[in-house]
Amino acid sequence: MEKPKVLTHKEFSSVRYFLQWEWILLIIFILVNIMNASFSDNYLKFDGLMRASMIFLDKGFIVFPMALVIIMGDIDISVSSTVALSSVVMATVYNAGVPMGLAILICLGVGALCGLINGILVVKFKELAAVIITLSTMTLYRGIAYIILKNQSAGGFPKWFSELSWGFAWKIPYILIVFVFFAAIFTLVLHKTNFGRYVFAIGNNDIATRFSGINVDHIKIIVFTLVGVMASICAIFLSAKMMSTRPNVASGYELDVIAMVVLGGISTAGGKGKMIGVITAVFLLGFLQYGLGLINVQSQIIIIITGLLLILAVAIPNIQEMIKNFNKKREVNL
Amino acid sequence: MSEYILELKGITKIFPGVKALDKVHFQLKKGEVHALMGENGAGKSTFIKIITGVHQAEEGEMFFNGEKTHFKTPRDARKMGIAAIYQHVTCYPDLTVTENIFLGHEEVSPKIKRILWKKMHKKAGTLLKEIGADFTEKTLMGSLSVAQQQIVEIAKALSMDAKLIIMDEPTAALTKRECEELYNIIDDLKEKDVSIIFISHKFEDMYRVASRVTVFRDSQYIGNWNVDEISSDDLIVSMVGRQIDQYFPKKKSKIGEEVLSVKGLSKTGLFKDVSFNLKRGEIIGITGLVGAGRTEVCQTLFGIMKKDEGTVSIDGKEVRIRCPKDSMNQGIGYLPEDRQKEGLVMEWDIGRNITLSNMDTYSTNGWINESVERSISGEFSNKVHIKAQTIYDLVSSLSGGNQQKVIVAKLLALNPNIIIMDEPTKGVDVGAKSAIYQIMEELVEKGCSIIMISSEMLEVLGMSDRIYVMRDGRISGMLNRNEATQENILELAMLNKSADVQEL
Repeated sequence: MEKPKVLTHKEFSSVRYFLQWEWILLIIFILVNIMNASFSDNYLKFDGLMRASMIFLDKGFIVFPMALVIIMGDIDISVSSTVALSSVVMATVYNAGVPMGLAILICLGVGALCGLINGILVVKFKELAAVIITLSTMTLYRGIAYIILKNQSAGGFPKWFSELSWGFAWKIPYILIVFVFFAAIFTLVLHKTNFGRYVFAIGNNDIATRFSGINVDHIKIIVFTLVGVMASICAIFLSAKMMSTRPNVASGYELDVIAMVVLGGISTAGGKGKMIGVITAVFLLGFLQYGLGLINVQSQIIIIITGLLLILAVAIPNIQEMIKNFNKKREVNL
Repeated sequence: MSEYILELKGITKIFPGVKALDKVHFQLKKGEVHALMGENGAGKSTFIKIITGVHQAEEGEMFFNGEKTHFKTPRDARKMGIAAIYQHVTCYPDLTVTENIFLGHEEVSPKIKRILWKKMHKKAGTLLKEIGADFTEKTLMGSLSVAQQQIVEIAKALSMDAKLIIMDEPTAALTKRECEELYNIIDDLKEKDVSIIFISHKFEDMYRVASRVTVFRDSQYIGNWNVDEISSDDLIVSMVGRQIDQYFPKKKSKIGEEVLSVKGLSKTGLFKDVSFNLKRGEIIGITGLVGAGRTEVCQTLFGIMKKDEGTVSIDGKEVRIRCPKDSMNQGIGYLPEDRQKEGLVMEWDIGRNITLSNMDTYSTNGWINESVERSISGEFSNKVHIKAQTIYDLVSSLSGGNQQKVIVAKLLALNPNIIIMDEPTKGVDVGAKSAIYQIMEELVEKGCSIIMISSEMLEVLGMSDRIYVMRDGRISGMLNRNEATQENILELAMLNKSADVQEL
């Protein structure tokens, strides 16, 4: 008897394809833009859109590595403090006479160090959840920033520095170009490399991943360090936008960042999600908040609307599951 | 009144995409131990879940005590006195035995619903004594062995006045001696007129405790016999639907030079002074009671745990192994015991699972080459005859035997020279079992060497060239194929010949 072979290709199912969360995100994204366009006649002009994106993209940098962390089944809530600490250190060393270029490198270094410490703690103390560890480093990093600057602001950055956040290359903001660059890199790393595959594997079953000869601790440390580095890049653009910094800068960023990741379809249980969804979610939330700002909606209301969207993001996958099961049942009965 | 306590007629159950049960019958007499056998995926578990009210059948009738019944929820079934004990005991390790026994049906005072601890402890104590448990009701569940936890489950069933107890592979994780204790408990239950449905892949279990046996195959009812009327060969035929000519395909293999030598391997508290060697083309079996340190030795060899002392040499050269990657680079492959926890990413498809431990082969500079990955995982899936439609089928949708085949394919894709297999056929149906033995045989013919940890005596005797027996963290003896018998293995595994006090 010839045994049936296991095939290496599967049939394309349009239902399955278009039921993906990313399509739903895209529809919501378009709806948000239609809404915004009805608020302001100037909204849909190219320059307007570009300027709108400059307002929220600084947080967007942290969203990429945060997606990796959440896919691994961990979380990092210390990011806003890392932003504050690295920007405060940058401003302080610059005011002490260090050239701006070097100060930026030091900023990146501080961010990487903060992330590395988080990673090592998470790996060494396995019995502690990442949320607890990063909760403590969150207060730790913020506290150091306060000690350095004593609740004052520091700035006086050179003029060219503000160009980073406010400058254009052929009508496209620099910040958007950098964002697209990182978006491409993180998408490829997550979906096309071994490293990305291991991140998914860890999120699904870290023990089996270890038994497969993969150094789980190593990968976790790298991902947490990436969060730190990207937080310091956020710090650079944020300081450039305001041309100064304070120890209480960026507070609440971690919630926005995590909201963008979750809305982007990354499962909070770990192991599932796509980078394209996360990128869409960054623009969706950013434009939504910008548009509501256009018609002077109170910031508290904006938070409520963001919360409702998140509930939708959590609920929709379950509804999709129900639709899939319903379709399967129908196939059987036919 | 009917002579049957439980009777099911024409039960059909449809899941999305598959018919899990197709008009099956089942009859159970009062006080009878009835074995239910069949390959993994034959529909046994679904059948049990219909009896216990977890699933509802699309067609068919169920009679309990002669009355037509229909359980909508597990609660309904429990009220009627049906209890189920599953293979993986679902317990609360941080609660006491009493709390575990009475969870969900605590003894409470009538008005203010205060929990009556004294009454519960007393009742639990009596129950435990009745079934001959060697621990007290106030012990923490987590400190008990798997066998003892199973006894608690049985006590729990009795505390609910169960008339019918269903045991789903209760002996899978038990040692020989623990099985024997379980058999005795079952005999006692029988005398108390409790009826038992007993699911197991082990023939020795069935012949020891059951009086009748019913066989399912491919979601269908095949037949039922008195246990003493049917031989194990006939049973295998009825379960797989074909003759398995060579259950153990072991041939005389060409054994070459030594490839692996382990000397004085020790780890405090787990094992001490373990030495053995392995030759090319050889299968060595490592057996002993569960908890003797077999898995720990092999996991240390593979780099999951760090050794305290001792040396490992491969091809005569001493090697340092600090993590699994090191040992994989030395050509060692490991098939873990717990396939769902240690072996597979359950929510992934077959293909990705097969390639996970060997991604470097399918990538250039870290970038995955997906077409190579696809074709290789397809090739290995077919090599081990996984039953699935495509390599995109989720592993969680496969039966236990097919899941095990996925791990074997994953191991083969590594192309290892030295293979450690920890309980390679645990919880696997007969068909998959013989397929795995066949693969092992092909591997040694190609010049690989295999270390097989196993508790199943027939498998150890049938497949190994040499057998190392472990007891209390030490190797208590080595037997050659021709001198090994069940008796002398058991003697080495259980008896403490030298009276000296062993310190670990």
